[in-house]
Amino acid sequence: MQIELLCRTASTVAKVTLGAGESVTCEVGSMVAMTPQVVVETTSKSRGGGMMAGIRRVFSGESFFLNHFTSRVEGGSVYLAPSQLADVYHHALRGGTVVVQGSSWLASSAGIEIDTTFAGLGNALFSGESMFWVKCTGTGDLLFNSFGAIYPIDVDGSYVVDTGHIVAFEETLAFQMTKASSSFIGSFLGGEGLVCRFNGRGRVWVQSHQPDAFGRTIGPLLLPRD
Amino acid sequence: MEVEVCNRPSFAHILAKLAPGEVIIAESGSMASMTSNTNLRATWNGGFFTAIIRKFFGGESLFVNEVSSTSGTAEVMLTQATPGDMIAIKLNGTEMFLESGSFVACTPGVTMGVGFAGFASIFGGEGFFRLKVGGNGTVWIGGYGSIVERELTSELTIDSGHLIAYETTVSLASGLAGGIVSSVLSKEGIVMRARGPGRIYLQTRSLDGLASWTNRFLF
Repeated sequence: MQIELLCRTASTVAKVTLGAGESVTCEVGSMVAMTPQVVVETTSKSRGGGMMAGIRRVFSGESFFLNHFTSRVEGGSVYLAPSQLADVYHHALRGGTVVVQGSSWLASSAGIEIDTTFAGLGNALFSGESMFWVKCTGTGDLLFNSFGAIYPIDVDGSYVVDTGHIVAFEETLAFQMTKASSSFIGSFLGGEGLVCRFNGRGRVWVQSHQPDAFGRTIGPLLLPRD
Repeated sequence: MEVEVCNRPSFAHILAKLAPGEVIIAESGSMASMTSNTNLRATWNGGFFTAIIRKFFGGESLFVNEVSSTSGTAEVMLTQATPGDMIAIKLNGTEMFLESGSFVACTPGVTMGVGFAGFASIFGGEGFFRLKVGGNGTVWIGGYGSIVERELTSELTIDSGHLIAYETTVSLASGLAGGIVSSVLSKEGIVMRARGPGRIYLQTRSLDGLASWTNRFLF
């Protein structure tokens, strides 16, 4: 499998070129175009997950169904894109687990098992992210998207990410909700409130913009619905 | 202090590297991520009374964050709510008005006050008061879309919602884009007339434009 990211960063589209018989699993609705050698199959299953995995996926902000694109011959390609103005990031997973924030998972190759896990009550309530996270385990290619640009940070020790900015992180990192500055009052007065602190060694991918903040900016300008 | 605007122009955000003792002032809620040796301290936005006036008449935040390092070099990413560009403006004693929401960050030498926006601004729907920055230092502003800088020698007509910053030497007047009939038909409505000398900064998209386009699809 060969992955090329085109038209970065605001309107990124991923061109996935497949080998004969090779397949890629994607979020429903993410296919923009594909060559005639590619066949599509829709299931609720990912590798190792069944019906329940599909139900859990719904809670994570993803679709119940998944699309599997398989090329019958060498060189069939499929173009994938998120629905928003967004960047796409390609990560070559070599063993281990990457936890992707609910709505950020875009696609993964067949060697990666995807499963949805509950973020934990405290994290779910305060992190400003979706209640469920998508756990990607195995070896293969992983694509995730963001609102805004994505920048990777290699954490060794500890690093702080504001709520709503997490795209994905390696499971070797421990995750903890904490206050933004040394005092609670200061954290809220300064508009940051709670933040996520990552401890340990591993990589976290951060998005430069927060979808909710943009939503709150544009929301008051929209007409109320009946 | 080393400051870089990354991912211009569609998703601009600021990376600031702070050595011990260095400070950058950041808009409330603008921190996206930071190293754990970064210290945030909430302070009144330009002093107590200024902050109160700006909050209630200018729609700005009451507090800003003083960002500094506790030990070693601290790195902080600052962002804005809307996708778009950010630019740095050097102030050398010049004063500027900033439109509500366009302030992202500044160096400590920059003074933040409040200025009466003028009656033209009220009719243009932009509020009574606005942030006035002056002193010596750098201020970073952000906009929705790209940012266009222009040195005014004479007059320029600007659609409402596009002006994000201008030097205090620029005078503003509001008016109709053309005659009453053509103003309504052309959907330009009320516009601003900016008269130089001085520099102005425009954002190439407006949130009102996005909202009115989106509203057509809401039912």
